[in-house]
Amino acid sequence: MAEVRTVEAGLRIVGQPVVRHDARDKVQAATAYAGDWAMAGMLHAVVVRSPYPSARIRRIDMTRANGMKGVVAVLTAADVPRNTLWTDVPGQTTEVGPLRARLHVLAEGRVRHQGEPVALIAAETEEEARAASEAVDVDYEPLPGVFDPDLALASGAPLVHEGSNLLAHWRVARGDVDLAFTRAAVVVEGEYRTQFVDSSYLEPESGVAWLDSDGVITIRLSTQVIEHFRDVAEVLAVPQNRVRVIGTYLGGGFGGKEDVTVEVYLGLLVLRTGRPVKMVWTRQESLLARAKRHPYVMRYRTGASASGEILAHDIALLSDSGAYAYLSALVLLYSTVTAAGPYRVSNVRVDARVAYTNNPPTSAMRGFGAMQMVFAYESQMDRVGRALGLDPVRVRQLNALRRGDILPVGQVIETHVALPELAARAWAGLGERPVPRAAHVRVGRGLACNFQPYGRIVWLHDWSSAWVGFEMDGSLVVRCGAPDVGGGQASSLCQIAAEVLGVDLDRVSIHISDSALTPLAGTTTASRQLYMSGNAVLKASRELREQIVAVAAPMLATDAAAVRLEAGIALAPDGHTLPLADILRQCARVGVSRSHLGVYHAPAGEPVDFEKGQGKVFPDYTFGAHAVDAEVDTETGVVRVLKHVAAHDVGRAINPQSVAGQIQGGAVQGLGYGLMEEVVLEDGINMTTSFASYLIPSAAEAPDVEAVVVESGEGLGPFGARGIGEPPIGPPAAALANAIEDATGARVSTLPITAERVARALGLVPP
Amino acid sequence: MHSFEYVAPETLDEALALLAEHGSEAKALAGGQSLIPVLNYRLARPRIIVDLNGLRLGGVRVEGEQIALGALTRHCVLEESAELAGACPILGEAARLIGNVRVRTLGTIGGSLAHADPAGELPLVMVALGASLTLRRARGVRRVAAADFFTGYLTTVLEPDELVTEVEVPATRGKGTAVEELARRVGDFAMVAVAAVVSVDRRGRVDEACLAYGGVGPRPLRARSSEDALIGQEPTAERVALAARTARASLQPQSDAFVSAAYRSLLVEVLGRRALTRAVSRALEAA
Amino acid sequence: MIVGFTLNGRPREIDVPPSQTLLRTLRDTLGVFDAKEGCSEGVCGACTVLLDGRPVSSCLVLTPTARGRRVLTVRGLERAGDLHPLQTAFVEHGAVQCGFCTPGMVLTALAFLEQRPRPDREEIRAALAGNLCRCTGYAKILDAVEAYVSGRRADG
Repeated sequence: MAEVRTVEAGLRIVGQPVVRHDARDKVQAATAYAGDWAMAGMLHAVVVRSPYPSARIRRIDMTRANGMKGVVAVLTAADVPRNTLWTDVPGQTTEVGPLRARLHVLAEGRVRHQGEPVALIAAETEEEARAASEAVDVDYEPLPGVFDPDLALASGAPLVHEGSNLLAHWRVARGDVDLAFTRAAVVVEGEYRTQFVDSSYLEPESGVAWLDSDGVITIRLSTQVIEHFRDVAEVLAVPQNRVRVIGTYLGGGFGGKEDVTVEVYLGLLVLRTGRPVKMVWTRQESLLARAKRHPYVMRYRTGASASGEILAHDIALLSDSGAYAYLSALVLLYSTVTAAGPYRVSNVRVDARVAYTNNPPTSAMRGFGAMQMVFAYESQMDRVGRALGLDPVRVRQLNALRRGDILPVGQVIETHVALPELAARAWAGLGERPVPRAAHVRVGRGLACNFQPYGRIVWLHDWSSAWVGFEMDGSLVVRCGAPDVGGGQASSLCQIAAEVLGVDLDRVSIHISDSALTPLAGTTTASRQLYMSGNAVLKASRELREQIVAVAAPMLATDAAAVRLEAGIALAPDGHTLPLADILRQCARVGVSRSHLGVYHAPAGEPVDFEKGQGKVFPDYTFGAHAVDAEVDTETGVVRVLKHVAAHDVGRAINPQSVAGQIQGGAVQGLGYGLMEEVVLEDGINMTTSFASYLIPSAAEAPDVEAVVVESGEGLGPFGARGIGEPPIGPPAAALANAIEDATGARVSTLPITAERVARALGLVPP
Repeated sequence: MHSFEYVAPETLDEALALLAEHGSEAKALAGGQSLIPVLNYRLARPRIIVDLNGLRLGGVRVEGEQIALGALTRHCVLEESAELAGACPILGEAARLIGNVRVRTLGTIGGSLAHADPAGELPLVMVALGASLTLRRARGVRRVAAADFFTGYLTTVLEPDELVTEVEVPATRGKGTAVEELARRVGDFAMVAVAAVVSVDRRGRVDEACLAYGGVGPRPLRARSSEDALIGQEPTAERVALAARTARASLQPQSDAFVSAAYRSLLVEVLGRRALTRAVSRALEAA
Repeated sequence: MIVGFTLNGRPREIDVPPSQTLLRTLRDTLGVFDAKEGCSEGVCGACTVLLDGRPVSSCLVLTPTARGRRVLTVRGLERAGDLHPLQTAFVEHGAVQCGFCTPGMVLTALAFLEQRPRPDREEIRAALAGNLCRCTGYAKILDAVEAYVSGRRADG
């Protein structure tokens, strides 16, 4: 089942920086995003949300709203056939205990976070819907809330849900941590704090739904998971084959469109009114209501030998699920597995907890629990190196995982780990140390390494499928359910099919992301799509090729093994050629199919007993190293990144330009996380609900990130590719913190590293 | 946004009559860069919008030592005018810091001053220059000094039926000027902003100093004790540093959800020193 | 109210409430989806159109303001079915990922280059600082604009 494990020579299309078909459409605004859609008789829908972070709902009076001009429907919980949404690790079906979470579609008697949906309105125009939403009279009785996970877990804390505020608790123990500390030459302790962060895709949550001529509820929306058609069906109490999700090319996802967003509301209103319905969230609504990245408090105690070998980590993690679980238990699992970093450490203890609070819910976001850990473990690595007088590259190379090493959870690393090379190349890529441009400025250099899982947890038995078929004229069609979030997912699939079937790229057309018309491929999340649907397309293409070649061989008077397919022509070793169209006609004559459905099953495993903490969790990891030169203004604390080199082992770059783009984009998102992004909450009230207050990096803050791409060829994806969507977001914050300490001697352990935090660390401002 | 009645008067008298008639139920529209976001967020519902853009209130007139800026002068004009670059470069320097290129296409000086954001660059610079604003209403006209125009957070002396029609600023030939600010991100609202105007006499002593701050209170504030510390003195690095420290001691900025008072105080001193240093160096060149 | 303006070289006339923004007039009344709604507050730049050659946030422009003026969106750049060379440069340099910011970036860059035909990379960076992108990290966008500038230089 494992695909090609070595880098193949002689590839014509795979490995080339081909122009993406969707780029040409997007640059002319020819791509219809989910909000670029209008239908006759279309209604506009708006969600009514709780202004309180914790309250009982005494009464909802819809009289005024119902009487307003243009209003067609006002729904509350009682109008929802089955008012429960299950987060069952999207797209898959295996239940794994605390990974299953539930929430209401519309609040029933109680709200637990600011922004929680309480009612749903459809009206003839958007303005009328918004005006009516302001006229829904909800009688709230505010209740006490809890807004800090430590407080939430203390006795006497208000309970967010029945039972306990502890949502999940993962523990791992390997070796003998306490004994190892007694042998350590140096022990470094640190507490690292990271913040709530927003996906901030430029395209807000959007969709349009309608009843097709067959009465199928059809939802055209921006989503990373078309499999949510099942969730819509369950909520509406209709058969799953009566709901269709058409996923559009997304204007960004980053995990924020992994959960259900607008589709259930649209389904409800289409069912209720029989008319097409549109919902587009405003930016303010998206910043308020969409799930955030998990903040962490990470307490690390690290012991090392005099020669720099990390002997032990004792790690405590505490995170905030907000009011609803969503994917929190799974995110915590990723954290637990990766908390010790991409290093060989024989003695590790991890105690990881996530608590409910009345803060906004947290869920999936690029890096998914593994990226937050990088800030902690790479700050620790740096401090250990400093304490021992070892340079940053050396201390990481010394401890890097190697093939055959075992992670704290018991997983054996099965591939080459390029970390030593990546660290060296990232560091060397910075070149000569820049000279400070003024007396009040210091310059420092920092390194951070990381590993990020790609592909789903193996006990979820992940799979993906794709259909590849020739038209009679030799042009090729690919159908695959994979959503395209902007990273070139669709384009890469075309490259793979074109490569295997010897067709020029401009002779391939692809249909993606339609739950009724394209074979399901699973979520575009977890850096899994290239790996999974790429392998599905590879498999389908190879099997189709065999079918075609078996028919071509006798026509060319040669063996099947000797037939080459290139540029739409079949060639025999003796030079005899035939156009593909001729072969395809013969296929039709003899009843050989010109298409093939490929299903790729990822290597599977059984759930790990985490108390015993042993077993395989993820299929594989992508390793990386980033190095930055940063300038610190020692009078104001302002940090500027002068240079940034980001090195990753991507296994095989299907499209090197897309790979570099993912690395650069992910790195800048990581810089935003490190320097400026923060959802500011005051007792559960969101203070950053506009792009004027929630700041993402502009071109002025972003350095030109130099992407260094290493291709070890050992990925599980097609042609040895590894997932690259998430890995680049991990290292930048830690690299920055390390550079700042290098420049000034001051360590910042709380994100984001604002100018004010640096000023405090430098003693410019009293604590 | 909520619907409203819309009128686009063709003369100033018409506009003023409309404002007199509708009072606080009317909102004047100039560049829209502050007003329309508020309407998009549904935070205000004016019954009538009076669109000023058809009025002849644009135009920059440099007449010797006086510069008259029509209220509808767009920020990009301040940025790009070669004439202003010579006569009063602080205007372009400040305009360049406002928002993004789109804000600068449409945003106007009149609108910016009427909006009175405490961290706004133009309100700050008007106070630093000692600008004079012409306010008109149907019943008459008055002139108000910039320092008196801003009264509080987003609040000015403008009556509901009154418009800023013109701003007069002195040319700063022979003086040194500078603006310094720190925002959390380029183009965003400044945490602290400073404008400095300095001139030195023939003996190299400061004969005029103005140091004004934005973002440290509900309206732009002059650090008068700092100015006094410089007048009559040679503007050495030590004196400039002392003036900046004095400003820090005399101003009481507030904390908000994003920036603490203590950090703002630090910026008062550091940015003040940097602005003064640049202004002094330009003043010495100009002298 | 009736408002007439020129859109991509063609005269258009629509009857809309004056409270409707130019962005919504383009998208909802005229079915021209080139400009996107990203924030409704003029910060993100996804709604950028050129008004008489200058970039504006169409989400902050009331439709009457466009009366008698020239509005340009990306589909107005096309000449005889071909992409504008700057658009081609974006495509070829991998400057387009999700594409939501792309129309705004292209228009802003073009307007800037009208005023400053031979900028260096840092000037281009500063010129595009008001257009947010969440996907690319900006480097390839700057590469594309630089390539277009030197391509023009080569053509004389």
